[in-house]
Amino acid sequence: MSNWERLVWNQRDALLSGLGVTLEICFLAFAGAIVGGLLLCLVRLYVAPLRPLAVLLIEFFRATPIFVQLMWVNYVWPEILGWPNTFFTAGWAALALQSSGYLAETFRTGIEAVPRAHRKAALAVGMSHVQVFRRIVLPQALLTAAPSLVNQFTVVVKSSTLVSVITVPDLMFQSQKIVNVWYEPIEVLTATAAIYIALIFSISQAGKQASDWLRRTYGLQG
Amino acid sequence: MSEPPCIRVVDVHKKFGALEVLKGVSFDVHRANVVSMIGASGSGKSTLLRCINYLEVPSAGAIFIDGESLGFREDHTGRRTPRPLREINRMRRDLGVVFQQFNLWPHMTVLGNIVEAPIRVLGMSRKDAVRVADECLRRVRLVDKANEYPARLSGGQQQRAAIARALAMRPKVMLFDEPTSSLDPELTDEVLNVMRELAEAGTTMIVVTHEMAFAQVSDRVLFLHDGSIEEDGHPDQVFTAPRSERCRQFLAKHLR
Amino acid sequence: MSEALKQSLDLALFWEYRAVLLSGLLFNAGIFACAGLAAIVLGLTAALMRLSRTRPLRWIGTLYVELFRNAPDYVMLVWVHFVLPLLLGFALRTRVEFHPFVSAVVALGLVYSGYFAETFRAGIESVPKGNIEAGRAVGMSEALILRRITLPQVVRRMLPEGLNIFISLFKATTIVSLIAVPDLMYRVSMVTQQEMQPLPLYTGAALTYFAVIFVVATLLRRAGERWRLGTLI
Repeated sequence: MSNWERLVWNQRDALLSGLGVTLEICFLAFAGAIVGGLLLCLVRLYVAPLRPLAVLLIEFFRATPIFVQLMWVNYVWPEILGWPNTFFTAGWAALALQSSGYLAETFRTGIEAVPRAHRKAALAVGMSHVQVFRRIVLPQALLTAAPSLVNQFTVVVKSSTLVSVITVPDLMFQSQKIVNVWYEPIEVLTATAAIYIALIFSISQAGKQASDWLRRTYGLQG
Repeated sequence: MSEPPCIRVVDVHKKFGALEVLKGVSFDVHRANVVSMIGASGSGKSTLLRCINYLEVPSAGAIFIDGESLGFREDHTGRRTPRPLREINRMRRDLGVVFQQFNLWPHMTVLGNIVEAPIRVLGMSRKDAVRVADECLRRVRLVDKANEYPARLSGGQQQRAAIARALAMRPKVMLFDEPTSSLDPELTDEVLNVMRELAEAGTTMIVVTHEMAFAQVSDRVLFLHDGSIEEDGHPDQVFTAPRSERCRQFLAKHLR
Repeated sequence: MSEALKQSLDLALFWEYRAVLLSGLLFNAGIFACAGLAAIVLGLTAALMRLSRTRPLRWIGTLYVELFRNAPDYVMLVWVHFVLPLLLGFALRTRVEFHPFVSAVVALGLVYSGYFAETFRAGIESVPKGNIEAGRAVGMSEALILRRITLPQVVRRMLPEGLNIFISLFKATTIVSLIAVPDLMYRVSMVTQQEMQPLPLYTGAALTYFAVIFVVATLLRRAGERWRLGTLI
């Protein structure tokens, strides 16, 4: 039985479960990042008294390395806030924070790119500010931001490899476990690397196709 | 005409894929001649000009600069080998080019643009190159703009700077590819005046142009249509009594 | 709860160990400099290969870029440190081991060369063809055109994106603690094991990185913009 069989194929259940955990944590983190990013962005743009706080948070989440944030959220927050209570939660929370900083800026760029004229036209036909935002500004902003959003998702997937350090059983964790049992890293780690690269490449390509389709269907310059 | 022509174009063809843009063009240009090339868009005049310094490589035919072929080397037995790019570059130094879009390098000042090739290609010292540049700037009347970046100049000024850049290499022949077509009408005169002065000073020039006023004062006019030279003669003859019907129609449309 | 909050903001412990901890930043800086240099050189090479007229070179360039651009930093780090020495060992029939610093520089250099390659390629393609033709018309060689006309413009056009990649690279150097390079994070974890007080130490680390990166990034971006606008307008 070759090493590939023994270490990779026979362990595929563990590896696949790891991949599942990876995807789970990435989706949760990205969802959280969208919510957090949108919140920070809107506060920054429209809630004047809280603007400095929003800017500070955005800059803090963007400037601090993800590994540092992960350690900080995992070790410091439970003592102060009593949350997160599991490693998995700490993992997706840290990933979400990091990305929310970037997404806040992405959304801001997208919103500011919507031509002022569109807003004025909508107001002129009698829409309220909230309606204008919801039906005119936000859709266009999202279309402009779509490529950046896909890119940030790939960043989340790449950063998710670090949650293995706080013992979240993701793909990286599972493959390192196999290495620690059998002391033969070549096949497992190469297969793991290949899976991650293939995954991220597919996401990028899918994103590019979707962007192109959006641009063609709605005729907006990306 | 005892000396060989400066430029000899022999049966040049050029194909872009299936489209044949030049269908066997031949002509000579002698020293101190000013040759204008006119014709409709798509007639191949720009392509022909760009073939002369191998910015476009002819599909067939040959270009001779002062008797030496640009595309190949011929040894004493008559065998031909393709000329390496290095040598083509060396021969390009003798041909100055002025482009329709000026093509000044935006990250260098006007002076920087002009001295770049003399220093890097000809190996001149910076002091000598600047002296030559000053001379050229004086000829195009742009001395006060030497330290400006191209983006700050008007179109006419940029084109004059481009002419100075080409002159700084002391080329044997100056090639102009529709030099005024990108300029606002008020700015074309300053460039045409410079070109007229160059012509009067004895510069050998080949000019692709839509400005009939300039064509009328050149030594020779070539009318191109659909990849062939249909008319080749002195402007007096071409403009008053063209032999080709298409040339007659073209002139009727373009002359006031 | 407030006791813990007070504890974490009481950075006295961090301050006490500041010499040891902050000198860890030198490792971050060192790996950053070496990996950054490698990333630029490899990235430019890969970009030129992708734009080459020979098809095999284009293929290799594209393969290289897609491979490293899509690889997670941590996965590459672990692979370079644990797998590559074994592969080299088989090839050279001897035992090979990488110093963690070397693994870090190689891994991060490769991954970030992928990002730089894309940036360089976009930059090179954005230089107007007319500029290149003007260079050819005065007899410049392709190498001279690349050096004097294309690359200066690429640097100016791609400076913001390039700066962002560098900032990401610096942040990425924090993971080298996981293969026992004694950078700031590694030292923080060592001191934590000793003192059993993670709160001030990890908070201090977060604040330190934030301060350093935010200040340096802002300064560089501003200086970069001023330089760029000075010449290209």
